[in-house]
Amino acid sequence: MTRASTVSARTLAGFWRQLSAAGRAGEERPLPGRLADAAVLWSGARAAAVYLREKDGWVRGADAGGFDPSFQMPEPCPESAGFVGDALWIPLASEGEVHGQLVLFGVSAEEGADVAAFLGFVLGSQLAAHRLSRQVKGAEFEVRTRLLELESLYDLGLSLGGQLDLSALADEVLFRSISLTDAGKGTLVLFDDGGQILYERNLGGEILARDRFVSWRIPDGEAVINNAAASVPTAGERLSGCEKCLAVSIAVPGRRLGFLAVADKESRDGSILDFTATDARLLSLFANQAAAAIETARLHRDAIEKERIERELELAAAIQREILPRFLPAVAGVELAAANIPARHIGGDYYDVFPLAGGRVAFLVADVSGKGVPAALLVSTVHAAVHLQIDEAKTIAELVSRIDRHLRRFAATRKFLTLFFGLLEPDTGVLRYVSAGHNPALLVRKSGQLDHLDSTGVPVGMLPNSTWREEVRAMDPGDLLCVYSDGLTEAVDGADEEYGLDRLTADVRERRALPLRQLSDEVLGRVNDFARGMPQYDDQTLLLVRRT
Amino acid sequence: MNESCKILVERRGDVAVFWTDGYINNQGGEEIARQAYAQLETGARALVLNLEKTRIVNSIGISILIEVLEKVMDRKGVLAFCALTPTIDKTFRIMGLAQYAAIYPTQEEALRAVAAAG
Repeated sequence: MTRASTVSARTLAGFWRQLSAAGRAGEERPLPGRLADAAVLWSGARAAAVYLREKDGWVRGADAGGFDPSFQMPEPCPESAGFVGDALWIPLASEGEVHGQLVLFGVSAEEGADVAAFLGFVLGSQLAAHRLSRQVKGAEFEVRTRLLELESLYDLGLSLGGQLDLSALADEVLFRSISLTDAGKGTLVLFDDGGQILYERNLGGEILARDRFVSWRIPDGEAVINNAAASVPTAGERLSGCEKCLAVSIAVPGRRLGFLAVADKESRDGSILDFTATDARLLSLFANQAAAAIETARLHRDAIEKERIERELELAAAIQREILPRFLPAVAGVELAAANIPARHIGGDYYDVFPLAGGRVAFLVADVSGKGVPAALLVSTVHAAVHLQIDEAKTIAELVSRIDRHLRRFAATRKFLTLFFGLLEPDTGVLRYVSAGHNPALLVRKSGQLDHLDSTGVPVGMLPNSTWREEVRAMDPGDLLCVYSDGLTEAVDGADEEYGLDRLTADVRERRALPLRQLSDEVLGRVNDFARGMPQYDDQTLLLVRRT
Repeated sequence: MNESCKILVERRGDVAVFWTDGYINNQGGEEIARQAYAQLETGARALVLNLEKTRIVNSIGISILIEVLEKVMDRKGVLAFCALTPTIDKTFRIMGLAQYAAIYPTQEEALRAVAAAG
């Protein structure tokens, strides 16, 4: 058989039959392997290998026959077909581009040129088509990935806009961020208004130690890429357990809400890739979406909380309104007036007046610690205790002790109250009183002389086994007793200055001859004028008692 | 959801049902592929992947699932997904997986469909 007839006998159809046979023999064998198999079968070579041109140089893609695995491609790689030793090197080219190299062993020198011409063209075309197919697939995958990113941003905007559950919202942001950056791990941390950790979630492992979350200062408005995070700090922090990191701050103007960080971008071959500017832009967009949604969720939560507080305050105010006397009793020999201005944030002032047997009259002003419903409930308990015990106690000191015990037994909250309790005998002018830590009451004589009735014991409910001293004063006709709560003396103006005891004393003393209703209105007017419309945070209570 | 993907496989005749739990990334995808090829080698005709406990898939995981799908199609087999989160459902549709692999809301529907296809 001549050389020409030998090669011509091996037709193109024959090669395709060999290639198909190689394919059937190993369905899982990639194309380079099938090409090597077919080349051996078609050419009658002893062994073959196909080398592929990859990014980093030549890589042996497959071999067939009795190929020696220790065989090395010569340096430089042969540029044209020909023998190097007993190896026939055949560039696999198409359209002027070399896609691979075929090396055959056991081909005779006579057949070499024809075999090289045929296989170089056919295998080159096959490899080119294969490579083109891979490139098209890769490009399509890339386009779809970009589309997925856009769709994800759109979906995230939609889903976050309606998502008011902060935890679900944060999960959604973190999962999508990790997924779309191909990160191996990610962390999302949100802070509350006080800068403390409100939410944290790690996926795939810890990027930063928890005790460093609060101090990790990623600059607002820009993503930080650190592709050497294993050795170089990222935004001032040495990260643990990651090689490369991408982090962004989650912020709204003037406020840092948290941060989002992903690490260790995966590749198909298991290596860790650098984060790119595209990754950074994507993560920044996610962080912006998240910031808007988190702020919306926070505002919604705050609105709900505000509504709850408003309802609580309304309830507390209603309790207080029901407890305070609607009318003061008429008691012979005594003129009475009282006023209570509840603060916006309900405090716990309480006053009451009790006509007693023998023409006597008892009265009290109490100020409960705290605000809102708990304070209002304690006022309610005090009110009940006073009404229950007032007929049982022999002295007002005993009465205050009984109130103290009642509160310890029945009050739902551990709070305390200041209390001024007075008992006046109009016939004799004897005034008995107990002041449990209350502001000094003012006894303004008809002459204008002033007597402060100071505290005679600790606030009620403050210390166990407390006792209170009962004091006595004489009230002559025209003498005036002024009992008040600290909401009055502690009323503040715009400069945060308090109205104070001196102003109250002066205002009451100047008006001591006025009818008590008028005196009460004028004093409260003076306080209001002093405050110049500034909102007050405590109840203001004034009780005036004059012996006539 | 687990951080690393765990795979449970149950063979029901010529159908292999996979339950995934965790992140389908390079590691998770490789594990799915390894077990899928093992099932194909032992005669499985259809693979049903239940992703109920997976909330996150990245592009590497998707590319591996596409390779598995191509392998199943080479063998004239069937691949079906079920119980996907809305996010993953949309991801698979955009990335082209849904062109050649059916997606079902529940495992029961997926199993009925692959049985009918057999």
